[in-house]
Amino acid sequence: MPVSNPMEQPPKPHWFRVMIIGRRPRRTMVRIVVLVAVCIILRQFVLLPIQVDGISMLPTYHTGQINCVNRLAYLRHEPQRGDVVSVRLAGDSVMYMKRIIGLPGESVAFHSGKTYINGEPLDEPYLKNPCDWEAGPFECATNEYYVVGDNRSMPIGLHTQGRAERDRIVGKVLL
Amino acid sequence: MKIVIRLFLLAAVVALGWWLWTVFFPSPERVVLKRMQSLAELLTFKSDISNLGRESRASEFTGYFSVDTEIVVDVPELGAHTLSGRDEVREAGNGGFASAPSLSVSFLDATVKIGPDKQTADVSCTLKASAGNDKDYGVQELRFQWKKIEGTWQITRAETVKTLR
Repeated sequence: MPVSNPMEQPPKPHWFRVMIIGRRPRRTMVRIVVLVAVCIILRQFVLLPIQVDGISMLPTYHTGQINCVNRLAYLRHEPQRGDVVSVRLAGDSVMYMKRIIGLPGESVAFHSGKTYINGEPLDEPYLKNPCDWEAGPFECATNEYYVVGDNRSMPIGLHTQGRAERDRIVGKVLL
Repeated sequence: MKIVIRLFLLAAVVALGWWLWTVFFPSPERVVLKRMQSLAELLTFKSDISNLGRESRASEFTGYFSVDTEIVVDVPELGAHTLSGRDEVREAGNGGFASAPSLSVSFLDATVKIGPDKQTADVSCTLKASAGNDKDYGVQELRFQWKKIEGTWQITRAETVKTLR
């Protein structure tokens, strides 16, 4: 009958194995599975990673910047004026990144480069470039937000901007 | 243990059977998506393509459209234009393939809705395209109507969608 020595210690695992998979491989496996699941859930339902491309949000955001869109930002409240949001096209592979300046039911106009909401001038401290836009007024319906980029120095005809339906707003840009 | 292995093998056989079924008898959604994919591949070409290759592509491009097709383009850069009928599409296709130095086209986020008769389909997608060596690309939301005509899915209507109006 084999008898084991109670003082005998189990063999120590190799340091390299400990470094790669830890002292308890099963726990490490569980951690990996949980981590992957959390990442997938975060990516799918909470934070959508994006890369900025284009000049319409200069100087606030420039091409190549990495950012995230918070999909849950408007779970408890509706989008606010000044929020930088992502607006989907057919899906969320490519989206517009714009700033909300007009809320549902409001009228938006540009005169001599200045923005007017319901006839009142809008203070926009985020604008750094000169603007000479003349357009509007545009009436937002009850489910529409007026979105525009921060780079108003480019001609209005080349700047993608306008009224976006609420269900096209994917979320708020995080940083 | 044997039961587990048998169950696993059974699941594998069912999965393989399902996969083979979808390969040999694809759903209309899958067929339309495949047509979209092949259209994007047809519209993508490099600058070293020969004139004969361009003509061949233009001819193949026309085949994607029905005889009574309608293409409605309304974008700020180009204004509003409508192409009616396959002949106008052929003309535009010939001009486009002849003049563009190179083109890269992809249809992203394509969603297909098959009609109740299984003979029509509505597709919405985002077009991402760049021409020449230009690194900048344009994106445009599009809507297609496809119809199965004599066993082949063809575009009966294509239009640009104003994401921001």
